[in-house]
Amino acid sequence: MKGLIIKDLMCLKKQLVLFAFLVAGVLAVSIMYVLSARFGNIALAAEKMIADNQLPGPDVQKLGSLALVLFMLLPIAMVGDMANVFDADGKAGFARVAGTLPVPLRKRVLSRYLTIFALFGIGVVVDIVIAAVLAALTDMITFADFFGIILSAASIQSIYSALAIMFCILLGKNHLDLARFLAILTLFAGVILANLGKIIAVVKKIAASSSAYNPEASGDISFLWDIRDFLIEKWYILLILAAAVCVSSYFLSCIAAETKRGVI
Amino acid sequence: MEEIKNVIELEKVTKDYGDFKLDSVSFSVPEGSVCGFIGQNGAGKTTTINLILDVIKRDAGEIRVFGETIDKNSAALREDIGVVFDEMGFHEFMTAKDINFMMKHIYKNWDSEMFFNYLKEFSLPSKKKCGSFSRGMRMKLQIAVALSHHAKLLIMDEPTSGLDPIVRNEMINIFRDYVVEEDHTILLSSHITGDLEKLADEVVFIDKGRIVLAGNKDELLEKHGILKCKKEDLAQVSTSLIVSTEMSSFGAEALVNDRRAAAKLYPDMVIEPAALEQIMIYYVNRRG
Repeated sequence: MKGLIIKDLMCLKKQLVLFAFLVAGVLAVSIMYVLSARFGNIALAAEKMIADNQLPGPDVQKLGSLALVLFMLLPIAMVGDMANVFDADGKAGFARVAGTLPVPLRKRVLSRYLTIFALFGIGVVVDIVIAAVLAALTDMITFADFFGIILSAASIQSIYSALAIMFCILLGKNHLDLARFLAILTLFAGVILANLGKIIAVVKKIAASSSAYNPEASGDISFLWDIRDFLIEKWYILLILAAAVCVSSYFLSCIAAETKRGVI
Repeated sequence: MEEIKNVIELEKVTKDYGDFKLDSVSFSVPEGSVCGFIGQNGAGKTTTINLILDVIKRDAGEIRVFGETIDKNSAALREDIGVVFDEMGFHEFMTAKDINFMMKHIYKNWDSEMFFNYLKEFSLPSKKKCGSFSRGMRMKLQIAVALSHHAKLLIMDEPTSGLDPIVRNEMINIFRDYVVEEDHTILLSSHITGDLEKLADEVVFIDKGRIVLAGNKDELLEKHGILKCKKEDLAQVSTSLIVSTEMSSFGAEALVNDRRAAAKLYPDMVIEPAALEQIMIYYVNRRG
């Protein structure tokens, strides 16, 4: 089974090289950003926003930290797409070889899920290094907050990967794009359903503000802080959710792989 | 007398795809033999091999490998099976070194030294991406992988198709070396009967999902013959002896299933030995 994980990582090698470049880019841009937020133009812009009463002081700081949150999400989002492994296997005809190896089908499926955890580990370690550097340079966000965001982002990425594996096995090598789309769709549907009340409230406020000028409504971006705070503080919910999705999608994938022999 | 052990045994194995059915297939492959699995394209050779490897599930019947049923322990049994397909199956970006690294974490008995020795013997580069290999090189790489975990059974699906005669001959020599060890067995599927005539001890002939002939190759060749006569003389020949006939402007030819009996009954007619290819063609035409 270990050999299959090695093979999966080899398939993602190209993507991991891109990932390395992206990490370097994110690190450079985010350092420039925090330095500017402390000493440069961003700091001046923030002061002006506060002086002009556009946003209150704490919101300006939160807005600044939100940009850093996005920077932290990028490396994990780019660390690897499991659908690419299915794509590479499909092109090579590796599923046929895999069927002749002394690895039971459920272990072949499990190896894909363990690859997710390997990628999860890579993403988390790299992001922790970036977070340590940034936390030392800024007071917009603490290392503990960064840590929460990293775990939240890695959990979301794991949920996507687990769903992508399941859909790839269910739909087969000829429908990988559809499998990716369905994985993203399921992920978004989950987020929307979990926040339906808040989303309706925000939409209502926006609708009200577009029909008549209402500075209170148009300036309300508190839902962004809710998302940010959720990612920082409630990371364990996403982690538990990721574990649950991985386990249930693993069992479903095993059933699908057993029924549709030759996919993995 | 020592009992002959069968490495592969199929009993009334059935797989129905709707448009194609592998119908109650039964045959066995004795230990230490080379079994040629012949039949035209689409006859059911690959389906049978996939069933033996438990890559696909059978609808009915029993399959035993090394005396054990494949139902629960197919993965463990595959430790002792080397498989070669008509297409490589490894990712084009992989080098032989990468494959060695992957396989040594998969097979318990993987022998890296043996693998690199085979690469040397087959003149295969270890650091070059296998996507740049020729067809012959790709097949040799598969054989090196199949042989480097001390497999006792080699299952090959059309390994020589599309190869030039020199590479084909090289590969046949590799297979010959492999079966020198008395517990090594080969199941070799091919529609190139010339290769099998050189190599096989046993022959299983499948057509339209059914086993048409199975047995010792020399006995089958000895038994069958091509009877040549005038068209009008063919009517004298007992229909129970004739597998099928072929007419031409020069006369008639028929494959007979008992050459000696035919020679005794019809001493004036010419009966020549039949090649495997001819046997295959006449049997296929029988039902056509």
